[in-house]
Amino acid sequence: MTDTAATVDATLRALLADILGLGEARAAALTEDSGLFGELPEFDSMAVATVLTEMEDRLGIVIDDDEIDGEIFETYGNLLAFSLRKVTD
Amino acid sequence: MVVDEHILRIEPDGAPRATILIVPPLFEEANRTRRTLVLAMRALAAKGFAAAMPDLPGQNESIVALEDADLALWQATLAEIAAGIDGPLLVASVRGGCLIDHRVEAAGRWRLAPVGGSSLLRTLLRARVSADREAGVTSSLESLSEMAQHEPLLLAGNRLSPAMIAQLGAAEVQPVNPLRGVTLGTDGIAGAPLWLRAEPGEDAAMAEAIAADIADWSAACDVR
Repeated sequence: MTDTAATVDATLRALLADILGLGEARAAALTEDSGLFGELPEFDSMAVATVLTEMEDRLGIVIDDDEIDGEIFETYGNLLAFSLRKVTD
Repeated sequence: MVVDEHILRIEPDGAPRATILIVPPLFEEANRTRRTLVLAMRALAAKGFAAAMPDLPGQNESIVALEDADLALWQATLAEIAAGIDGPLLVASVRGGCLIDHRVEAAGRWRLAPVGGSSLLRTLLRARVSADREAGVTSSLESLSEMAQHEPLLLAGNRLSPAMIAQLGAAEVQPVNPLRGVTLGTDGIAGAPLWLRAEPGEDAAMAEAIAADIADWSAACDVR
């Protein structure tokens, strides 16, 4: 993993821990295949909104509506890939 | 202006050293932090302060409809409530509360993790877009912002007027003096940002740290 990828990964885990109240251990245990929306009961539409705004603030990116589809929040791997793409664009 | 809102007051034993007016975060963030803020109020009372947290018009037990409230009303209400409090006064605001505390006359101000109104509004609009999508309705931040110019919008359970949405979108934290600005982390208050949490939590240690920091700041403001 590159430094950028490691930073984005750590930032994303921390913000999911903050928003979903996962605790450090559960956040650290997330894998690429870990389900998010529809899998974690805490992950409701308000949590999705909060995750997007915190991603913008903490990663220094701007996310447009039309970039968002359901798939991004399906798994942790998808969310990480999307974030990396935004950060390196 | 007549203010008829409930104010949660926690008093110390004996005469208070000063009153701390707590301005909570806005909307859902207020619910997520209420337990911890009330614990901080109890800790302040144990240090000899009175602590007061009012309902903002349209929130909690208020008889005002949220649709009839906006940031200007909240700012004026807080100023009015503060004017009715005897003795030295400090204001302690959290998150969006920092957007409405500057009209209060106070010996000093304490702000935790201030946030711009546009960021709060973006999250509220996104929650609506996300809920709409689940319901099979297509909406966007742009289409909702357009609608909000003419009619109230229901955003994450909050019915907000065009005036409220416009003011929130433009609201920034105003400079005040004297001010102690505090963030979360090793340089500030240790703890997690409970205001973001999907399911409300509470943090007694964070409440103690908040009370201790406010008490130190009150001494620095010559309010003992």
